[in-house]
Amino acid sequence: MQDYLKPKMGIVRNTLIFMQEVFESRGHWIVGIVLTLVSIFMFFYYLQNGLGLAYNDARSHLDIGRRVVEGLNTGFAQLGSVWLPLTHLLMGLTIWNDFMWHSGLAGSLQSMIAFVATGVLIYLFLLELGVGIFGRVTGVALFAVNLNILYLQSTAMTELMLLGTMTAGAYHLLRWFRTENVLYMVYAAFFIMLSTLVRYDGWFMFFFVAILIVIFMWKKYSYIRAEGVVILFCTLSGLGVALWLLWNAVIFRDPLYFAFGPYSAHAQQAQLNQAGVLPSKGDWLFSLKMYMYAMAYNVGAFTMILGAVGAIALWLNKRVSASMRLASIALIAPFLFNVLALYFGHSVLYIQGISGDTWFNVRYGIMMMPSIAIFVGYLMDFLKPLRVTIAGLLIFVSFFSLSSGDAVTIDDARVGSSQKNVTEVSGWLREHAARVPGFVLISAASHDSIIFSSGLPMKKFIHEGAGPYYDAAISNPDHWARWIVVRSNSDDDSTWRLLKDNPGFRYYELVDHYPFADIYQLKQEYMSSLITEPILKKIW
Amino acid sequence: MKDSIAIYLMGILLISIFALSLRGLPGNPSMSELNTLAWKNNGPFESSPERGRFALLYSFIEDGSLHFSLDVAKFALPDLAISSSGEYVSLFAPGISFLVMPGYVAGKFFGAAQVGVFAVVVCFAILNFLLIRAISLHIGARRWSATLGALTFLFATPAFAYGVNLYQHHISVFLLLLSVFLLLKYSGYWSLAVVWFSCAVSVAIDNPNIFLMTPVAMYSLLQAWKLFRTALSRRSIGVFFGKILLAVTTTVPVILLFLLYNFLAYGSAFQLPGTLPSISVIDHDGRPIVEPVSGSMLSENTLNSSESNNEKTAIGFFETRNLYNGFYEHFLSADRGILFFSPVIVLGIFGFFVLYKTRPEIVSFLTAIMGMNILLYSMWGDPYGGWAFGSRYLIPTYAVLAIGMSVGLSQSWKKHALFFMLFIPLFLYSAWVNTLGAITSSANPPKAQVLFLEKQSGHEEKYTFMRNWEFLQGRYESVQSKAFVYQAFLKDTVNASQYFAFVYELIVLSAALCFAGMYREKQFSRIFPHNKD
Repeated sequence: MQDYLKPKMGIVRNTLIFMQEVFESRGHWIVGIVLTLVSIFMFFYYLQNGLGLAYNDARSHLDIGRRVVEGLNTGFAQLGSVWLPLTHLLMGLTIWNDFMWHSGLAGSLQSMIAFVATGVLIYLFLLELGVGIFGRVTGVALFAVNLNILYLQSTAMTELMLLGTMTAGAYHLLRWFRTENVLYMVYAAFFIMLSTLVRYDGWFMFFFVAILIVIFMWKKYSYIRAEGVVILFCTLSGLGVALWLLWNAVIFRDPLYFAFGPYSAHAQQAQLNQAGVLPSKGDWLFSLKMYMYAMAYNVGAFTMILGAVGAIALWLNKRVSASMRLASIALIAPFLFNVLALYFGHSVLYIQGISGDTWFNVRYGIMMMPSIAIFVGYLMDFLKPLRVTIAGLLIFVSFFSLSSGDAVTIDDARVGSSQKNVTEVSGWLREHAARVPGFVLISAASHDSIIFSSGLPMKKFIHEGAGPYYDAAISNPDHWARWIVVRSNSDDDSTWRLLKDNPGFRYYELVDHYPFADIYQLKQEYMSSLITEPILKKIW
Repeated sequence: MKDSIAIYLMGILLISIFALSLRGLPGNPSMSELNTLAWKNNGPFESSPERGRFALLYSFIEDGSLHFSLDVAKFALPDLAISSSGEYVSLFAPGISFLVMPGYVAGKFFGAAQVGVFAVVVCFAILNFLLIRAISLHIGARRWSATLGALTFLFATPAFAYGVNLYQHHISVFLLLLSVFLLLKYSGYWSLAVVWFSCAVSVAIDNPNIFLMTPVAMYSLLQAWKLFRTALSRRSIGVFFGKILLAVTTTVPVILLFLLYNFLAYGSAFQLPGTLPSISVIDHDGRPIVEPVSGSMLSENTLNSSESNNEKTAIGFFETRNLYNGFYEHFLSADRGILFFSPVIVLGIFGFFVLYKTRPEIVSFLTAIMGMNILLYSMWGDPYGGWAFGSRYLIPTYAVLAIGMSVGLSQSWKKHALFFMLFIPLFLYSAWVNTLGAITSSANPPKAQVLFLEKQSGHEEKYTFMRNWEFLQGRYESVQSKAFVYQAFLKDTVNASQYFAFVYELIVLSAALCFAGMYREKQFSRIFPHNKD
């Protein structure tokens, strides 16, 4: 090398070494900062293009959170039984603010934090496995450039929170299996407990990890010790499950109300089964095929295949300790859960092209994203001579993914069964009911997205959760409801079911008719007896 | 038997097999003749990609124009485009049409213009055989193992069926393999110049080659970097930049010619043919009907029409959403999958495992080429390749796997008995399947179209290679083999099945010759990295 170039090359080399050292010691912080910026940018990106709340479920989640703090009958009972409560509880911190509610930020905020946390956890998980910086960064990058993840972290859905808590649980389990420091078991149990309060996938994770612990302790020590440890683990990680059963018992007089109640997934799936549109039930191969498709569309088919190869490489690599390989099996819990749920008919998933021309719940495929990112990160380290090639091919595919805006979750939200165009109904309410006194009687279970999209305050609505107001309105609608929003002739709509034979319903006239709901308004001659103020609260 | 005699014999066998398989009809047909069933569906121009490319060649030589006359346009349908000035033009990259012109001229001289054109592709197929062998030898395969590996590519994969007609695949593979060979064997400026020239030409042959050649381009940049480091240490940076500049300038004439063609044909130097509005029908008055074609995958270019013509972009043809189905089609499906059409080539992976231990950087490079090829055409909206035989888009991957195969075949027979036990039956099966394709037809419908076809024909329509078997038995067309020699000289002497059996036996004989050579080499050990031919 020419002498005069040597000092400059030396500076470059030293700078690179310094940067590498900084990344080695502060990598997780750098990842956290970068992901935070990405997270904020993507939230505003989806907010401004109107996709932020495309999922009806996102609006329902926000309404549940809002009802806890605002409405005719506020309180924790509004958390209901349909969905697990953690995300709604966390919304309570900010959802009292109208901007936070209607922008969806109250719900997205926790998803955004979970997004950053999951990215950092992927980094740390790979670090724990002894993966070099290239593999670690690849794992995080795969997770962070996935458009489905970026969309779900920008909306008020529960998936990212689940991914965050489950990945944290798996990470601490790995640390515990490696070090046998009981503190990590407590951490693992804590995060798995949180995951059981987000989605039911967390419940499976809880049982699955408990089995892994039994295997680990029994094989290494004895049955007695395994029994002791697993009881300790379950005491903490099962707390969420126990509290939820208790909650259902206290509020709904049935500890299994969430599972078999009228609004439960089980009830929905029973209807689908009756209609013959639950083909995965009882069919292993079809369940597996559907979930594989969902994974391929969410995670990316190439990434998924690499992840599978990475998982095999990890589990067969005898240079990785057996305990760590065992702990890493926890990463496949979401896969097993979803296939089992489809097989037993507890879950439904429609893929366009296989289930007709629609999507439904295809986002469930995203549950394996952190796991696959970890497996691919590991593979990068395992196949060091090929890592530039693999990285190049991943960049190539990601380029096309980003350039074609390939986010199946957005399709799921926009054109699938998850969406309903309720803008006409909610627009009517906003236009005619905003400045006129009086309540709207509506079923939140059927029309939560209308409530949200109307932009009216929650206290304007009398719904199933409004307690005495709802009971009173169902008995004497003409005294309480100026407007009634129902899906006429559909007994799935509880308000219609309860009102259709009520004599008071005759005092209403149909003022508008839309595909998803009709709007009835109290006739002018009966207005004199209408109550337009929330007086029951004062009486009580 | 001496090796040299065996090699000459192998050469004769190769040429004989191709001569017997080459598709065609005698004569120098006019365009009105070409527009008959005898030359189209029942003849050598059975698919629109062949017709589209031949149409440009014909128009250029016979009419002296890059714009198609009405007859030529009708011949090219449905892969026809319309330029901004409203003239019919080719929907394909022009490279092949110009490259095969000498074949047309020579063929015309001998009274078989179309055969001359197709023979040019055969020449490239044979060059690919030699390049695979040369690369394999360079990375340590033994001589007869390398020959058998190359033979496997040529006759036991769908590359065979696409070596006897007018498709771009063998020419693209030639440019790819030539670049790989030069990059692995040489590290000078002239080799970089040829590689970059090949990259530029490949885009003119087939536009998606810009992606396919990316690993080659990256590897060549790595070599350029090494040359830079060397120049830096020798204090000859000026010389380095001068030579590199010279190497880069080899691409300039190609790029200029490509841009000139685009300008003359389409009215804009930067207009790619695939992004033009496509015409699937011409009405009785000769007027084009621009209509979107539903996803029925009639040909590789119908995809172009499935989107709004105003929104066509070069990268818009590739979508990651297609990947999963694309993987399935290319690897596992009965209508196109490697598993059914060429399972033997999968054994090439074993060679890469072996090579990974000693030459991981080469495995990395070759994996990048295969990965790019597989991903690119799995993202393509029509992974079926229209009406095709096997997964024709993966022909570059077969070529690379054949290199791995050569390495695998160089291993000890005793230690890797399973590999050899699998190889023999799989080779026999794959060669049988692909000889069927070469001798009969490359136009098998994708499974998705079969129900529609059955409705039209009123009988069962096969979509696997069994369709070719039925073709051979005379079920579908009036001709049972489209091979030129058969059509011109032998159809009254032997039946198509006997003809097929004879070609197949020659292939088996070639493989047996390779095995005999391998046996002579007594290769019972692992690869010797310095083994040279």
